[in-house]
Amino acid sequence: MNISFNYVEGESLIMATKDIAVSSGSACTSASLEPSFVLRAIGRSDELAHSSLRMSIGRFTTEQDIDATINTVTKAVEKLRALSPLWEMYKDGIDISKIEWAAH
Amino acid sequence: MAYGKKVLDHYENPRNVGTLDKDDKSVGTGMVGAPACGDVMKLQIKVNDDGVIEDAKFKTYGCGSAIASSSLLTEWVRGKTVEQAQEIKNSEIAEELALPPVKIHCSVLAEDAIKAAVNDYYEKNNKKEIA
Repeated sequence: MNISFNYVEGESLIMATKDIAVSSGSACTSASLEPSFVLRAIGRSDELAHSSLRMSIGRFTTEQDIDATINTVTKAVEKLRALSPLWEMYKDGIDISKIEWAAH
Repeated sequence: MAYGKKVLDHYENPRNVGTLDKDDKSVGTGMVGAPACGDVMKLQIKVNDDGVIEDAKFKTYGCGSAIASSSLLTEWVRGKTVEQAQEIKNSEIAEELALPPVKIHCSVLAEDAIKAAVNDYYEKNNKKEIA
């Protein structure tokens, strides 16, 4: 299962979810820093592809595990959005897709 | 490969997160990077009449190393003059945080961010821009 949390970068989310086995992007690109070509192929922008988290459930996953995970991920997203200039711009009503980013 | 201790520390306890008034003449704002690359840093400095940076704030969209690089930078520039802040090299940031080769670009972006903030401050105060 792959979820994207806009305005929050995937790798920083992984750092916040220490007790859960997660990955960013997709399984096929797990060894690389590039956003997943699968996500891009289904029409996700590069930005959303960089903002995604991938998790799996198995037959031993309990409802409690899922509740705890939702709790952890929600807190992490809140904390990282407070750090994010993109979230700030979104809250200020700025259309991020219109911005010309400096090349680097 | 595990994250370095200092990177984790800055990630858990980022310093100087926030926003300064970008319309204030004494504030220089630098915004570098691009969402499509997975790294965007906003760095702001508040410069007093003596040309000393008395406050610095950052916000970063990016991985732990990017957050740590920008957080560290805001710590380092406080108390420095604008000219001294321009001298900070990405290699110093990378060394302090023990960044692995694949994350060096985060320190480069932080160096770009302080230069952009200084340029903005200069522009607003009609001073000469740095290259």
